[in-house]
Formats: sequence, C-alpha cells, structure tokens
Amino acid sequence: MNRTIASPLCGVAVQVNYMSQVDGDDGLTPLWGKRSLNRLPFIVIGDLVRSRHLLRLLVKRDLNARYRRAYLGYAWAVLEPLLLAVVYTFIFTILVGSSDPLYPVKIIIGVIGWSMFARSLTTSTKSLSNSINLFQFARVPKTVFATSGTLTNAVLALISLSCLIPFYFIHDLPVTWHLLLLPVWLMVLSFTGWGIGLLLAPIACKVPDVLNLINFLVRAGFFLSPVMWTYDMFNTRFGDGWHAVVAHMNPTVIPITGMRDAVLGESSGIPGYGYAMCFGIAIIGFILGAMIFERKAHSAVVNV
Amino acid sequence: MTVVMRLENITLEYPVPRQYRKEDVRPSGVRDISLEVKQGEVLGIIGRNGSGKSTLLKMMAGVFPPDSGTISTRGSVSLLAGVGVGFHKELTGRENAYLYGALMGRSTEQIDYLIEEIQSFAELEHHFDRPIRTYSSGMKSRLGISVATSFKPDLLLIDEVLGVGDASFRKKSEERVKEMISESGTVVIVSHSLGMLKTICHRIIVLERGSVRHEGDVELGLDLYVNGQKDTND
Repeated sequence: MNRTIASPLCGVAVQVNYMSQVDGDDGLTPLWGKRSLNRLPFIVIGDLVRSRHLLRLLVKRDLNARYRRAYLGYAWAVLEPLLLAVVYTFIFTILVGSSDPLYPVKIIIGVIGWSMFARSLTTSTKSLSNSINLFQFARVPKTVFATSGTLTNAVLALISLSCLIPFYFIHDLPVTWHLLLLPVWLMVLSFTGWGIGLLLAPIACKVPDVLNLINFLVRAGFFLSPVMWTYDMFNTRFGDGWHAVVAHMNPTVIPITGMRDAVLGESSGIPGYGYAMCFGIAIIGFILGAMIFERKAHSAVVNV
Repeated sequence: MTVVMRLENITLEYPVPRQYRKEDVRPSGVRDISLEVKQGEVLGIIGRNGSGKSTLLKMMAGVFPPDSGTISTRGSVSLLAGVGVGFHKELTGRENAYLYGALMGRSTEQIDYLIEEIQSFAELEHHFDRPIRTYSSGMKSRLGISVATSFKPDLLLIDEVLGVGDASFRKKSEERVKEMISESGTVVIVSHSLGMLKTICHRIIVLERGSVRHEGDVELGLDLYVNGQKDTND
C-alpha cells in the first residue's frame, strides 16, 4: 500500500524504551507490571541509577538556567549566605547583645544547612506539579525530576561552603578530619528534605494547598530550626527535658549542629537518641516517600 | 503477523467535577477497549472531540496508567504530540536538543551522531547556539520537530498533528513524517484529516464517547464517522 501524507504533520516525539524483562509467550511486556510495596524504595533507587545520564543533564540545565544571565554567576551561591549572615549578625548583636565572635560563622552554617533542607523539600514537593506538561507526553521516571532539583541545590550548597574559608584565617579555626563531616551532614539534610518531598509531591499535585502549607512551614521552620540560635543556647535555656525531645523531632537540628561542630572543632554533646531520631526520620521519610510516590504519582498526573 | 502492542479491556475515566456528580453525568475517558496493533500496519483513530482518542494514545505510550486492564508491548514506542514541551528557555537550541534526546532515552553519543542533522533540518543556523528565549514561535517548533523526528521508534504514535512554520518547512516536516512512517512501519495515528487517513491507513477505529464503535475497514469507518456526525448535528 502506498503511504502518503496529505496534511502537514509535526510535533514532538517522546520515545519510550521498555527495558523491563520480557514475559508472556508472545514476547510482549506489560507496561505497568505489578510491583510489591516493599520493593518500591529499591525501584526508586534503580530508576535513578539507570537515568543518571538524564539526571546529570537536568542538574546542568538547572545550574545553567539559574545563574547564566547574572554577571556574578555562581558567586551568588557564596554571596547569598554571606549577605544573610551579615544581616542576621547585625540584628542579633543589637537585639540580643550577643558577644560571641564566632556567631557569624554559626549563622552562615545555619543558613546554608537550613536552605539545603528547605530547598530540597520544596523542589521535590513541587516537582510533579511543575513538570506536569512533560509527564503527559513522556514516559520518564518521575523521581528523576524530584531528584534533579535536590542535586542542583546540593551542588550550590557545596559551592557556598567556600564562604567559610576567610573565617578560618580570621578566627584561626582548627583544620581537622572532622571537616569531612561537613558535606556528610549537608547530604543528610538534603536526603531528608528529598524523602519528605517525595511523600508530599503526589498529594501536592491533587491538593494545591500542600504547596501553601510547605511555604508556611519553610518560613516558620527558619525560626524553629537552629539557624539564628544554636544547640548550646537551647540547652542552657531548656535543659534536656521534654523540650529537648520535641526539638530533636525537627530533622534539621542535629545535622546543622553537626555541621557547626565539624567547622569549629567542638562537640555539642548531642545525645544518642538525638542521632537515632535524626537518621530514623530521614530513612523512614525516604521509604514512605518512595512508596507513596511510586504508587500515586502516575495517576496524580492523569487527573489534574 | 506479529503483535507489537496489545490492549486488553482498558478503562480510564476522568473524575466528574463535584457540582455535576448528582446528575447522572457519564465520566469522560475510555471504557473497556481491547485491540491489537500488528507489525507493519498503519492504524487510524478517529472520533469527535472528547471521544477519548488522545487518552487512548497516551495510555499506549505508557504515559497514563489505565484504571483497569493491561497494555503490553515490545520494542520502543514514541509519541509525537505537542511542540516544545520540555524545552528550557535559558538553554541554547543545542543544549535543549541534548536534553530532549535524554528525555527520549537516548545517550549523549547517540545524539552526538544526530546533532548535525538536527541542526540542519531545523534551519536555525547560528541561532542553534543561542538561548531558546530569543527564538520566534516558528523557530521553536522547527527545533521541536527536528529533534522529535530524528529518532526512529519501533512503534510510532502520532496525535492530532498541527501545521507550523512556513510553507516550505511544513512540506519538509510532512516528508520527514512520511519517512518515519515508512521506516518505523508500525504507526497509530489520530487525526481529523479524513483524506490523509484514507490514503495511509490499513485499518481504522472509530471512537465514540470512550468506546469503540467501529474497528476494521477504512472506508466503512470513515463513512460511519462522517454520517454519525451528520446525524448528531441534525
């Protein structure tokens, strides 16, 4: 049969490669195979590893897009926490009369740590609703989009850590192997924000109020997390009663304190249950997040 | 003939808005559709607006999961629909081409191999290395089509294709899609252009309110569609 096309045709093609194992007698593979709930976290990780090429391109895209037109470029990643620290130090020394010379350093670390968590949480929560047009045409693992924003922010946070370098000379801070914990704690913060974001993303797609709630939480969390205050200040004020248990339920308290300890070469005497709660929330957040995301994200995109 | 894709009792219904729920409103979507796409055939899908053509195609592409039923397939499937979805305005045409290729599951090496062809087909010349935000809508569409049609899938799905660009580019993209159809061989096409469907399709499906009204003979299907529309219009 002669195939000719009489009318103008064009559009965007989205290609799908069905990599999964072939089953059935006729060599056909089901598009939506059955997947047990407890395997979903591993499926998420597997998808991310397989899509690392796309992930890298998306991170590159986000980084390029963010600073390409700015004259100062990536310097903004360093300038932002530095300028914030100047403002907060100014306010805090006037209002509270704090005389701690290391206070600006502590604030910079607090700002970097907190924005890492807040940005991971926000970008992964918004990932589904932001790329909804794309998901209606392309069969790509949706977790890749939830993850690329988090990775982009992790790269920026690592760059912004360099604004601490001058303080090493000013305050003659100790350079020890503890410094290696600095990026580790940053990753813990980003992982926790990402996991909770995965959990919220499909809900945010159906109930946009979640996005407003997240915006509020991020603003309130700034004051409820050790950005302007420190673990020490909290301890002297409240001791280790029930207040401390409640404070440890905030998943940013331990990592930010850990980052400060790593830089200043101190130990804040975080109790064992504090670490347990911090890692517990991170891991449970990821497992639940992966399960809910994989079960709900696909249909959430259909019914928008 | 080998079956490339099989749909068994596929149903996907969109929720009815709350204020209409009490009245007996039938939800839109597709209901209980079973069909097979065989290797080498061109299958046309026609139906009125809202009859479920695009929904069916999106389920075939694996983008929308069905509420019930199973879809199974072999090889790569590609959905041709919408122009420029996924492009980022701050990136150059070249960077967007790489990103788009990656979205389609292509490696950098594969795109390296095709990039010159993409550039020359899109006729963007030096604009190819400028950010997309500086492009006119025609330029964007040309880039979209050029990238989209440079990859050859085993099963090609074409949805409600539009004419963009100037006359000469339209002719060129027509040629390109024709080429894709002959190379991929297996095509499912949704269109309102009856003349075109008549010339290229081996088999046709008429959808009506989410269900299959006719499957098989092309002439008969087109007749049914045209007359059915007349009936409802009268």
